[in-house]
Amino acid sequence: MEFVPALAETAVTASTASDAVPLFTEPILSEETVAEYLGEDWAFVYRNREYLLWGTVVTIALTITSLLLGFLAGFPAGVIEAYGGGYSRAFVRKFGVLLRGTPILVIMIYTFYVLPIGIVLDPVQSALAGLDAVLGPIPVPDVGEAFMAATLALGFRSAAYQSQIFRGALQNVDEGQMEAARSIGMNRLEAIRHVIAPQALRRSVPGFQNEFTIVLKDTSIAFAIGLGELLKRSNDLFFQQTTAILEVIIFASLIYFVLTFSTNRTLDYVSNRFAIPGESS
Amino acid sequence: MSERNPDDAGGRIESKRERESVAGTADAERETEPLLRIEDLWKSYGNEEVLRGVSLEVDRGDVEVLVGPSGSGKSTLLRCLNRLTEVDSGHVYLGETEVTGPDTDPNAIRQQIGMVFQDINLFTHLTARQNITLGLRKVRGQSKAEARRRADSELDRVGLLAQAGSYPAQLSGGQKQRVGIARALAMDPEVMLFDEPTSALDPELSNEVLEVMSQLVAEGMTMVVVTHEMRFARGGATGITFLDEGKVIEHGPPDQIFDDPERERTARFFQSIRHE
Repeated sequence: MEFVPALAETAVTASTASDAVPLFTEPILSEETVAEYLGEDWAFVYRNREYLLWGTVVTIALTITSLLLGFLAGFPAGVIEAYGGGYSRAFVRKFGVLLRGTPILVIMIYTFYVLPIGIVLDPVQSALAGLDAVLGPIPVPDVGEAFMAATLALGFRSAAYQSQIFRGALQNVDEGQMEAARSIGMNRLEAIRHVIAPQALRRSVPGFQNEFTIVLKDTSIAFAIGLGELLKRSNDLFFQQTTAILEVIIFASLIYFVLTFSTNRTLDYVSNRFAIPGESS
Repeated sequence: MSERNPDDAGGRIESKRERESVAGTADAERETEPLLRIEDLWKSYGNEEVLRGVSLEVDRGDVEVLVGPSGSGKSTLLRCLNRLTEVDSGHVYLGETEVTGPDTDPNAIRQQIGMVFQDINLFTHLTARQNITLGLRKVRGQSKAEARRRADSELDRVGLLAQAGSYPAQLSGGQKQRVGIARALAMDPEVMLFDEPTSALDPELSNEVLEVMSQLVAEGMTMVVVTHEMRFARGGATGITFLDEGKVIEHGPPDQIFDDPERERTARFFQSIRHE
């Protein structure tokens, strides 16, 4: 490098970039340093960071699958509650009342112990195996029974709440919007799709933000059915070293907080980005 | 012209048939066929009868202004014409097509009948231009460029091309209503319905909307207008229909209805609004 002074500048940035990459595998801080400054218990947390990190990955994955299932079931349910008629609406409404009236832990025990989970799990696993065969080995951990049961429980519970968010948002769109859409020749479904839903979805962001936070935090309940998410893994750790309960749980709380905070900020941005100009969102 | 008489509707259908058979052979006759024919419309909400046998004919190029006290059924009548409200009985014909026919697709017929609302109802999440292109693209299936070109020419027609990129919340009431008119015009309607288009606007803003409407009158657009703007009615209308309690009380050219009404009820109504 010294021989080619003209390239010095690019060389420097390149070297700092390559320094940054192995930061996780070869940490700057040694366990000894952590132990020296923060004590043995923090060094214990530090030693097991990768174990906790994978727990965090499971937590994030479970949040995403649950919210996705919640949206896919909750949005149509909201549409049916707002616009549907007769039996479909009565069914959706009763199912929602039932789900919202049952504690999440109870729902999860149903999906894990009562529901024949293989019916759902087997197709998912063969689908993932199919993906594996096509794309080669992918870094998706095996979907276990507990993960599937937790997704179903959190997902359907979330659907019951999301349906209310969307129902409210749809019903809040002025009736005249539907009439105007119909008056230029749209049918009901086209009007909902092109006029009502885009407005309702924008207005659902604050409610969805709330729901996101709730689902993320409630993934910790999957601890009860033995899913190795963040809280379960934290628990495993402080049972191993009982003096480190405070350190482990503070670390886990911080991760939960960072996740909720950063996602809420992102959704704030999304909300502002898609706000209708001239209207207060 | 249209006092309710049970035999009247039947008699008119008879004469319509006669005319149709003639119109089939002579194009000149077809010209005289009314564009919009309303026959004996009845509509009630619960126990309240809103329309009680309304009949009316509007020729191509006519500007028919509906006036009457609130609750007289003007708006309901208008909404029945494009089936935003379904009638209980009676018929509406647009040219040869029966709008109220059981096999008529309301979505298809609504493209031929433009509507402008009292509360404007622009799509709030779309710009002025997008408000117009939405129908062209999703209903008419036009390409993006084609729809955009059409939208811009309609915006130009109502004098708002410069505001094409503005959202409804960034426009004044009068501008919004002009976009509302442009949105309806873009679908190439045979007839335009205006449901109190200036009632939600300040007098100052009403004028710019009335100017656009007068311009449409000059272009020969067939219009049915519910309005309290008597200046527009006097200046632009070819006919005035006075409704009360769901019935047509009187129909005639503006000068006659305003200055020399045959009915005492009509005279009383115009007397009362003059005193306002």
